[in-house]
Amino acid sequence: MINETFDKHYEESRIQGGSTCCPGCGGPLFWKIALQVLGPKTIVYGDGPCAMCALRYIKVPHMAIHFSFIADGATGINAALRAKGRNDVTLISSAGDGASADISFGKISAAAERNENMIQICIDNEAYMNTGIQKSGLTPYGAWTTTTPTGKESNKKDIPMILAAHKIPYVATASVAYPQDLKRKLEKAMSIEGFKYIHTIIPCPTGWRFDPAKAVEVTRLGVDTWVSPMYEIEEGVLTMSRKAEAKPVTEYLKAQGRFRNLDEEQIKFIQDEVDAKRSELLSLDGKKIIH
Amino acid sequence: MCQLYCPESTVLLTEEKKVIFDYRYCKGCGVCANECPVNAISMVKEGTQ
Amino acid sequence: MSDKEFTKMMEGNEAAAWGAKISRAEVVPAYPITPQTELISNIATLIAEGTMKTEYIKVEGEHTAMAAAVGASTAGARVFTASSSQGVAFMDEPLWIPPGNRLPIVMCFVNRTMAPLGGLRPDHNDSLHQRDKGWILLYCENSQEVVDTIVQAYKIAENSDIYLPVGVCYDGYFVSATATPTTVPDQAKVDEWLPPYKHEWYDLMPETHKMPPRGSFLEKRMGVADAQQKAKKVIKDVDADYKKHFGRGYGGLLEEYECDGAEAVLITMDSMTGTARDVIDEMRAEGKKIGLIKLKCFRPFPSEEFQKIAPKYKAIGVVDRNNSFGSAGGGIVNIELSRALYNEKDKPLLVNFHVGLSGTDVTMNQIRYMADETLEAAKTGKVKHVVDWVESHDLGEVM
Repeated sequence: MINETFDKHYEESRIQGGSTCCPGCGGPLFWKIALQVLGPKTIVYGDGPCAMCALRYIKVPHMAIHFSFIADGATGINAALRAKGRNDVTLISSAGDGASADISFGKISAAAERNENMIQICIDNEAYMNTGIQKSGLTPYGAWTTTTPTGKESNKKDIPMILAAHKIPYVATASVAYPQDLKRKLEKAMSIEGFKYIHTIIPCPTGWRFDPAKAVEVTRLGVDTWVSPMYEIEEGVLTMSRKAEAKPVTEYLKAQGRFRNLDEEQIKFIQDEVDAKRSELLSLDGKKIIH
Repeated sequence: MCQLYCPESTVLLTEEKKVIFDYRYCKGCGVCANECPVNAISMVKEGTQ
Repeated sequence: MSDKEFTKMMEGNEAAAWGAKISRAEVVPAYPITPQTELISNIATLIAEGTMKTEYIKVEGEHTAMAAAVGASTAGARVFTASSSQGVAFMDEPLWIPPGNRLPIVMCFVNRTMAPLGGLRPDHNDSLHQRDKGWILLYCENSQEVVDTIVQAYKIAENSDIYLPVGVCYDGYFVSATATPTTVPDQAKVDEWLPPYKHEWYDLMPETHKMPPRGSFLEKRMGVADAQQKAKKVIKDVDADYKKHFGRGYGGLLEEYECDGAEAVLITMDSMTGTARDVIDEMRAEGKKIGLIKLKCFRPFPSEEFQKIAPKYKAIGVVDRNNSFGSAGGGIVNIELSRALYNEKDKPLLVNFHVGLSGTDVTMNQIRYMADETLEAAKTGKVKHVVDWVESHDLGEVM
């Protein structure tokens, strides 16, 4: 009886429960939330992240190549849709952080330059998790990974701002800890023509080193400490999604094993960076920042 | 909250405000228990009850 | 006006653009590279004029071009693209996908030598490099053959027993930029002969969504191998049918030219065949018993055809406009042919030549030299070299 209820639920929500992702993975959580607004007339193109395991469980048409082809296959699908005269299908091009920051960075930039009509999503778990936790361009400063065992020395690439500079119609940052906000941003993206980019931080208990039960809590801390600020840039105008006071970054850093190596100086450095970013963003709230 | 945040969609809040679980697919991650504002869920290791 | 049959002097790159147009290619993701560039700028012109209705995606690199091709083909569009040399190498990663996933993409390989051992002119390594992946590879001698082969290619590729991508290969400069009289068939006649593309296994549209069943990797691999073998007959049948409808055919997998009573034959591919025909004619007039085999289809390799015709000759001169360094012996065609004939009771001597490498001209003198060497092997029963690098000989004034 309960099983039937759930089977019906999986059909209606267009995602099957029980993916092969790790317990507490933010990947299936992201798709669960996204599919609440995407609707049946959706084609998803994408591959790459650990969260790819979740893509096997969505119940809308989906195809993938490898993570070196992010946005490319979607570009082709887009052209096929135009050739067939279809303008009623939402095309999602999905990528993890490894693809977005590194191997497919140029591809995403080019698709943005062509203003391809798609929603490009980055599902960011901040390292190459699928292959066993190696650093990516989106791994934060100081984080442990197997290729940065003493902590990453370089900074996290700011892809949302880089893509905003391409003058695309819509850029947003989001978090699975704030699902209503994410859904609102997806719906907004669906209503706009052209290349839209939504960058969503998702938790990885395995790679970030914490108890899976705290997956949403830790992700929420990332937003509440302003390590992962949430905003939208629509036609070049910045709108902050949250303007709350910032909790100290130590709350976020101490909650994860991957930051265990950080010393006081490094934590202060991170706090200063986050503070500076926060004041800059708040001072630009409501202004046109891309010209 | 549990239904909202369960990564696997294996927790549902029924119309009668009961919480039901799909034990076929639940992975025991514990997010639901952690997020519940009224501590209504407890995680029990499989085989110990 | 632009839908009716017409004939004009046309370079290979323009011919290819018309081939894509009359085949009603729906999506063309392409990136320019010499000597393919005019092909895609011609397509852009045809679209701008309203002659061709195609989504032309100006991608930022060849790696992207082939991936976009895969996406578009899976989504149900007839896809065309093209590249050369370094561009082909840059798309090597996604070039594995269409045959493995059974996507009937047609691509022009405008042959160009690979760096660092050459510049912009042609040899065949870039296209031959695809021989392991499962692509069907067809080689064209001139602009006319390019137009006709592209149309045939879609018929072959989209055959539901085949579902393999087809490479239509032609030499940069010598075909791509050389104008010869070319007839572009009537659009309505092509539409009748080549129906719209509909893959029976793939549908990404939400209402009719279906994908091929999971299947084992072994099953899929054997499927590709099987399709390659089946393609031999399909290629011959398609060519014969095309000849019936449009008046032009190319012998299917290979063409025998002036082979009656020959003691020795040369095998050539692509543009040098045109020059070779003239040399063979001259030599025949002098009484020399030499013939010419034009190898059109390199993949699938026409082993059975060669097993049938090779015993007629005492020696075959295999002209390899390519290298396979450290190979078992000589060039790529030579090695394939050796295997095709290995177990045969009556097999001719194989005389292997390298010529035209790095895009140097293949001259009438050089062809005559290769023909003479092969005739001599036929007479003496001896082969002088594992492979003869023709360009290293001074053959006097270039003709």
